[in-house]
Amino acid sequence: MTFLTKKVISRRRMLCGMGAGVALPLLDSMIPSSTALAATAANPVKRFGAVFVPHGERPGFWTPSTVGADFEMSPILSPLAAYRDRLTVVSELCHPVDGHAVTVAAWLSGTIPKRTVAEDVLAGVTIDQLIAQKIGRDTVFPSLEVATEDFTGYIGGCDPAYACAYINTLSWKTATQPLPMEINPRVLFERMFGRPGTGKQRLARMKTGRSILDSIQDDLKDLQLDLGPRDRSRLSDYMDNVRETEARIQRAEKQAAANPDIPDAPVGIPDSFPEHIALQFELIALAYMTDLTRVFTFMMSRDVTQRTYPEIGITEPHHALSHHSGDEEKKKLLVKLNTYHVTLFEKFLKKLRDTPDGDGSVLDHSMIMYGSGMSESQVHLRLDLPTLLVGGFNNRGSRHIKVAPQTPIANFLLSLCQYYGIEMDKLGISTGSVALS
Amino acid sequence: MKLRLLIAVSALLGVGTRFTYSQQPATSAADQQAAALNKYCVGCHNNTAKTAGLTLQPLDVRHPAEGGDAALETWEKAIRKVRVGMMPPQGAPQPTEQERNALVAWLEGELDRNAVAHPSPGSPGVHRMNRAEYKNAVRDVLGLDVEPAALLPPDDSAFGFDNIAETLGASPALVEQYLSAAGKISALAVGDPDTGPAAEVFRIRQDESQNVPVLGMPVGTEGGGMIHTTLPLDGEYRLDVKYMISNLGAMKGLEMAHDVEIAVDGKRVHFATIGGPEDFAALMRNITEAQQKVEARSSTRVPLTAGPHDISIGFAYSGVVQGSVRLQPFVRDSQDNLDATGHPHIETLTITGPFKASGSGDTPSRRKIFVCRPKIQAEEKTCAKTILSQVAHRAYRGAETPQDLDRLMEFFATGRAQAGAGGGFDRGIQAAVERLLASPKFTFRVERDPVKLTAGEIHPISGVDLASRLSFFLWSSVPDEALLDVAAKGQLAKPDVLTAQVRRMLADPKANALVENFAGQWLYLRNLEGFVPNSSGFPDFDDNLRQAFRRETELFFNSILQEDRNVLDLMTADYTFLNERLAKHYRVPHVYGSHFRRVTLTDPVRWGLLGKGSTLMVSSHTDRTSPVVRGKWVLENLLGTPPPPPPANVPPLNESNQRGGRVLTMRERMEEHRANPVCAGCHKLMDPIGLSLENFDAVGAWRDHESGGGSALINASGTLLDGTEVNGPVALRNALLKKPEIFVNTMAEKLMIYALGRGLSAHDMPEIRKIVRDARGQNYRFSQLILGVVNSKPFEFRAKPGESKPPGESTHLDKGAN
Repeated sequence: MTFLTKKVISRRRMLCGMGAGVALPLLDSMIPSSTALAATAANPVKRFGAVFVPHGERPGFWTPSTVGADFEMSPILSPLAAYRDRLTVVSELCHPVDGHAVTVAAWLSGTIPKRTVAEDVLAGVTIDQLIAQKIGRDTVFPSLEVATEDFTGYIGGCDPAYACAYINTLSWKTATQPLPMEINPRVLFERMFGRPGTGKQRLARMKTGRSILDSIQDDLKDLQLDLGPRDRSRLSDYMDNVRETEARIQRAEKQAAANPDIPDAPVGIPDSFPEHIALQFELIALAYMTDLTRVFTFMMSRDVTQRTYPEIGITEPHHALSHHSGDEEKKKLLVKLNTYHVTLFEKFLKKLRDTPDGDGSVLDHSMIMYGSGMSESQVHLRLDLPTLLVGGFNNRGSRHIKVAPQTPIANFLLSLCQYYGIEMDKLGISTGSVALS
Repeated sequence: MKLRLLIAVSALLGVGTRFTYSQQPATSAADQQAAALNKYCVGCHNNTAKTAGLTLQPLDVRHPAEGGDAALETWEKAIRKVRVGMMPPQGAPQPTEQERNALVAWLEGELDRNAVAHPSPGSPGVHRMNRAEYKNAVRDVLGLDVEPAALLPPDDSAFGFDNIAETLGASPALVEQYLSAAGKISALAVGDPDTGPAAEVFRIRQDESQNVPVLGMPVGTEGGGMIHTTLPLDGEYRLDVKYMISNLGAMKGLEMAHDVEIAVDGKRVHFATIGGPEDFAALMRNITEAQQKVEARSSTRVPLTAGPHDISIGFAYSGVVQGSVRLQPFVRDSQDNLDATGHPHIETLTITGPFKASGSGDTPSRRKIFVCRPKIQAEEKTCAKTILSQVAHRAYRGAETPQDLDRLMEFFATGRAQAGAGGGFDRGIQAAVERLLASPKFTFRVERDPVKLTAGEIHPISGVDLASRLSFFLWSSVPDEALLDVAAKGQLAKPDVLTAQVRRMLADPKANALVENFAGQWLYLRNLEGFVPNSSGFPDFDDNLRQAFRRETELFFNSILQEDRNVLDLMTADYTFLNERLAKHYRVPHVYGSHFRRVTLTDPVRWGLLGKGSTLMVSSHTDRTSPVVRGKWVLENLLGTPPPPPPANVPPLNESNQRGGRVLTMRERMEEHRANPVCAGCHKLMDPIGLSLENFDAVGAWRDHESGGGSALINASGTLLDGTEVNGPVALRNALLKKPEIFVNTMAEKLMIYALGRGLSAHDMPEIRKIVRDARGQNYRFSQLILGVVNSKPFEFRAKPGESKPPGESTHLDKGAN
């Protein structure tokens, strides 16, 4: 028996005598009455997002056959045809090392993660965190980290010789601090809007929360007394986290005061995996629209996933299928699954495109990266990584760029950082930058 | 890999072990071992060949304890490989059994002697509670059951367990969730009268067969399930049932009448009949309307009290006569969303409330918290102090200070003042409990070193710290008052007191945490829930069997623990626990009903862990067996010698079993894979183990023939890493237990990792050997292993940590990755 989290019934619904709605209501009805979309044409908000899919994209079905502005849409990319003017496909980027864990941890860090199974994990700060430092400081969440898979049922399922953290998250706050990703839509929702209640109750709760966080810093100081340097530094990291959360709540209070109504919360993790992905996408879109965050990372599904997609006739786990051994039937199913993931992504893009923001749409002021840490999944191929950008922010669109073979993805990531005005000339193992527009 | 890691661990912890060189002259025994090493090992592991990246040339086997941590790690690795017969490899000149044992005994003896002279217990870092510990701590501090998966993010694991201090990191998101959990839990524990109505949805797995009695449900029912939940307030609650809708868009099973019953704590609160000619005809007229009517008839609104309840929903037993088995081709009564049997399926039960809430009620958590009641306002402060010092004593595990109490009292005062008349006192307690649950003093375990010691010095940990280590090891929770009392009196250092406490704790139902968390991870039982065998390959498999697999192994492990049996019985016991569903799967006759009972197994293939459906399934793929995964599972979890990770860029097993119109057996496919010399080295360690279990299919059912279109008889023979010929599971088991101390040693290592919450280093191996040696004379009783861990140096002592080294460059390339 599965346990789903609580869903609070709004007073209005209760009076109507209706039962508990189970699905998340349509996004359109969820946008709070007054949102923070106050960007002006002169000063548009900048946003960044990264969407990761595991196990690559079928070679031959992802990369457009022609380069340049009038590139030919490939089968897997066809659901994005309507976004051509906002789309940049980049091919031939690569990682230096093969494997599941290394390529996931390197995807946004451009480093070679250290081979170790526990204490001394070491990757690199990821670009979402670098960009968040630049553009995310004024929002409630400098960044949001979102995923879909509870990995506690995958004992023994991490890459041999590599710590589980490498494969469980896309985002690293520092080279040694992986950020956990939120998988439960209900919890994500409550992080964004607080526990349901009247506007007054929510404000009171935030106030209590802040006073608790303020007070427990005294507890932390007690604990730090006379500790060894390593423990002391771990607790002082915790102290930083407490202070950061305090500041977040403060920002959230301001926003809550402006938005007394909050949408209905989802009940928990849906049974259907595609529904789960869609729900997380909706919540991310909502976070963008309400300006709760300007930076997100989303792991649509985790490398080595055992998920199946019976909805589209895929009953073999994605990871097993990805090692197709040349079986044509399996390769066809993989193309189908790759395309299906893109259609889920497209629904998200559509929401961003349909939401006005200043002189354009939310999508116009965003740059969303989409891709995978490998190309041919059969051998975990680290070459020609499927990578694209969608969005109007500083991104001309209508382009397929083929970089020189063996260009590290770090170069591309460095260029993205530079786009956001971060002054840096090296990221991880980068050897230069990639001209994107 | 392990070697590198362990060095890194000690470097990080700053444990610089200082070696004083032993002065004894080289004995003839030492010279003999040097000769043996030269004869059997150095031919490959020398400075020139460096086979597997290892050279033994610079090391001195006459003085294995000298040469620093790296040498210790190398010798420990050598012991491990030589002992199980993995080295020297097959094909190379083999030492006699006597020579092999002599080399191992020499190395062990020297290393153990060194460990006694220079103990190195390590310095575990601050330990954040993981999800399971948090759940149990809330239960023991507040008397409240919560579901942590809905409150906190999942924990990363390392070394096979999710309670490893260094892996339990923090982030702002985690702080937020601790804060939010504190708010929800304090409200539920105290019974916050402002709690508004909310809905909880409980889902029954779609692959549960609902035409048979279900585990945990009352006799006389079939299908459905039992829900354990805690209601926030006295009041009215709605119970809504949803049934499965088939792929044709219609509710299944309405052709015949079925009785549905909802019971709360064993007492019926609702009864309805659904289906039959009238409903079926209505369904033909208007599907939506008919279904709504059926669901409305199944739902009810009832007054319920606050606190924990068992709520069951199921069908009245219809027997074999009516409908349910008329055309049932498979054991599972539905195929995905097709239902072959005409039996309705309950999909969810939603509990919504409270409505017309009438108070906080009398709940176990309120009884545990409110140990006093102020009669007049002037008594409130004293009573609040009494309450909060008791709660803080449990939550902060005996380390609470007067300042801690002051801080809680501040929140009591604010909460008390915020509320209007009536609930003021309770609200104050709620606010203070919220503050307490959010405190790092609750969520972190911090052990202190005496200030006067210098870095590297060793000292016994304090009584309260030892109490916490014990309770987190045996209960995955905070210590109880009895344990804290003994600790506070300074008596825990007395061996007889400590032993008595361990025995008392093992006898407590809370020791089931060892089954859930230790065995659940060691044996991969936690993977069962997410394991969905391919339904076209395994149409009989249903959730009833999945739950039975888990229950069987939990009961089996628990019987060894609670009856204090020899831990080798885990491998060899001729009994198990079965219900009808599982007995059918194992082809054991005369077992009826959904409840479990102890059964003697006449067929030795099912004896011990190697015959359990649970372990056989979690070491398979969803569509076929994997001799590799099974072999690896055995090497890693039973023999303690995990194979090295596969090299990069090796082609995986060809998934197709067709070659030129012929169907290959699994063995032939594996042999094809092993033809690649890069793969062969490790696969000849793993594959023979897995292949000898090939008579068990991917869901652990016995088979004589290959699955997947082939008709060949299974050939379960092979040669193990030490040259032993095996054929089938019984021979494999006997071979694995030829040196029983290897299994016991592995189990002791796993217990030690779990107990300490850290990975092990070469310094811990002498401790492990001591535990195994001491337990041998005690017939390897389970409690002797536990006591061995508890009485070990690493468990009772710690070294004061030194300055930590900064992490290396962010782009550190490890050539080993290729």
